[in-house]
Amino acid sequence: MAAVVGRRRASGGGRRFALLTVAPATLLLVGISIFPLLWALRLSFMQDSLLSVATPHFIGVDNYAHLFHDPLFWSSLGVTSVFAVSVITIQLVAGLAIALALDRLPRYQQVIATILLIPSILSPSVVSFQWRQLFDYYSGPLNYFLGLLHLPLQGWTASARGALPALVLVDFWEWTPFMVLLMFAGIKSLPRSVFEAARIDGSSGWQVTIFQTIPLLRRVIAIAVILRLIGAFKIFDIIYSLTAGGPGTSTESLAFYTYVQGFRYFDLGYSTAMAFVTLILITVLARLILGFMERPIGRSVG
Amino acid sequence: MPPITRRNFLADSAKASALLALGGTSVGSLLSACGTSSASSEATTLAVEIDAGQNANPFMWFANDMQSAVGVSPKIIGLPFVGQYEKIVSEMITRSNVYDVLVFPPFFVGDFVAKGFLHKLTDFGSESDFKLDDVLPVYRDVYLKRNGNLYAAAYDGDQLQIAYRKDMFDKAGITKAPTTWDEFVATAQALHQPPTQYGNAFYGQRGFCYGWFINIFAANGGKWFSSDMTPGIAGDAGVKALETLIKLKRYAPPNILQIGYPELNEAYLNGSTAMVVQWNDLALKAEDSTKSKSVGMNGYAPSPVANYMPYSRVMAISAYTSNPHNSYKLIQYMNRSEVSIKDVYDPNCGEDPFRTSHFDTSAVKDHTGKPTMSAAAATTYVSANKGGLAIGYPELSIPGAPRYIDILDLKVNEALSGGSTAAQALKSASDEWNSITTALDKSAQVKAYADWVDSFHKAGINY
Repeated sequence: MAAVVGRRRASGGGRRFALLTVAPATLLLVGISIFPLLWALRLSFMQDSLLSVATPHFIGVDNYAHLFHDPLFWSSLGVTSVFAVSVITIQLVAGLAIALALDRLPRYQQVIATILLIPSILSPSVVSFQWRQLFDYYSGPLNYFLGLLHLPLQGWTASARGALPALVLVDFWEWTPFMVLLMFAGIKSLPRSVFEAARIDGSSGWQVTIFQTIPLLRRVIAIAVILRLIGAFKIFDIIYSLTAGGPGTSTESLAFYTYVQGFRYFDLGYSTAMAFVTLILITVLARLILGFMERPIGRSVG
Repeated sequence: MPPITRRNFLADSAKASALLALGGTSVGSLLSACGTSSASSEATTLAVEIDAGQNANPFMWFANDMQSAVGVSPKIIGLPFVGQYEKIVSEMITRSNVYDVLVFPPFFVGDFVAKGFLHKLTDFGSESDFKLDDVLPVYRDVYLKRNGNLYAAAYDGDQLQIAYRKDMFDKAGITKAPTTWDEFVATAQALHQPPTQYGNAFYGQRGFCYGWFINIFAANGGKWFSSDMTPGIAGDAGVKALETLIKLKRYAPPNILQIGYPELNEAYLNGSTAMVVQWNDLALKAEDSTKSKSVGMNGYAPSPVANYMPYSRVMAISAYTSNPHNSYKLIQYMNRSEVSIKDVYDPNCGEDPFRTSHFDTSAVKDHTGKPTMSAAAATTYVSANKGGLAIGYPELSIPGAPRYIDILDLKVNEALSGGSTAAQALKSASDEWNSITTALDKSAQVKAYADWVDSFHKAGINY
């Protein structure tokens, strides 16, 4: 009995000690992460425009309600969705294919992987500048090659139809290598014995890839998709530098429109509400992808 | 005393904390922090905010002379051309003293004065220091003053202007620059021979394409607003103007929606475009053999019927600078006629004439004293400038102007890209303008607009 009481006392003291130990980190977390988030949440329920004569005041859910009637919000959501689906699909397929090819290389895997990383390391403004030169109608190399092939020159970012695909191309160039590296690291972590057994059982290389490699990579794929989903929903830098959201609103993403409302029109309440809606959207989508990842692996892999 | 608001309170608390923390600081520094310094205690290297690129060059060309003459020198802080407004406002609302001198387009003046971002120049000297009698009335009365007070000094006098290839006109049997927009469209069509020669080009990129719409809108008799702040853009004058611009797109390079200021210069200077409407500094570049393929083959003329004057640049003292007296000296130096005349004829910057004395064609030399264009070209250029001013249509410059303009620009760009018809785009912009007016307090906007229009009349502008 005495031993039990002693243990209880020890566990009570231990709890206090534990609380004391985590308190600084918790306070820091609350101070630099939770408090600003709550402050921003409060702001999203306010009418607060820095250039308005009105004093900031509480307006309930009006900012959120206004979002549903704002055609520019819906068009920017549409642009973001098309962009996200396009880049994730293309980058995933290309990333996986290149990673599989890289895995089969007998030599220079590390060297190639390092070189592949360069586009993702570059500053987005450098990337935008270089693509601005590439897309240039008169002196850009892309149109130069089209001219050599006697094909019509392209305006690239100059048409409402062409601008978004041009941005997808830039994002593809910048972020596919990142996808390749994630997939390559995933492939390297898979147990070789499974593939060897499949080979002994007579499976072709294609069958091994489809029925073993890809299912086993499912968790890596999910993480990669979530990371790129977050990146695609936050896309701002290359839009700002290459198209400024135009022509018209054809490349105006959610992040760009939030910036316009917050930093060009200084409507803090409305732009914060938009940011929270984006946050909720990404969280829900990420949760769905994680849910898919946590589903038990089917018979084909067993 | 300014009203106690949340921001004022936070800023004042921060300032008080800083002062307490610097308990041992000298009285001079404290006075400086409170903005009541004298010129002798102020810094002599001053942070000059300006859109980055060629327009900052004159400050650097004259840095040494300025130091000798008035004892101050500039440190340039370049901001992006599109995005300058939000960057300045972001700094100013936190009462940042990162800028001493602000160089910006006058359509920011309405907002900046209303929000208390600027010192009056006359707090540190006299109006006579700026020889205002020599400044062209349209810039002096409309762009520099608010409520009778001088807040800014001119740095650049922009206007749109036609630049055209006389050789291409001659070849097509066209004898003069167009004087109506119907003529302009017909001329562009006649000269359009893609892919080697395009009939015309204009600023089609998002950011400033609204200016090329307003240029035609003004010619159609359009007004920004009626006296009760009903937007004028969605009426017949506006719809017809936007339809004209959309029509002109047919006779333009295929990348027209990608064309901004540098690309528009390039489209003309590389010899592929017969006629452009562009800011007037293009003429200086078109007559410079290091930049142009058409030296001696260019003609210049005002835009048909009315001539829009978008942008321009003025210099003002930030309300939060610790160095207001020295900032005044820098502004006064750069505004001098003998300094500014060297800028406005130099093809390596974008500054344009804003003083009567700038129209002396014998002064067409760059800052090193080298002639920049032939006497004949200079005469045509100056004549086009004078003609443009006579039919000048000023840029909107009331509180909220950047926001009104941004929305208009977006909608014009949307129509140009085929996303909506001219009527739909302008109706949508008009609705947004009404929302902005309401948000900014309609009665205050009515008064601000009336005062602004009144300044036109004082400047002799028929509006």
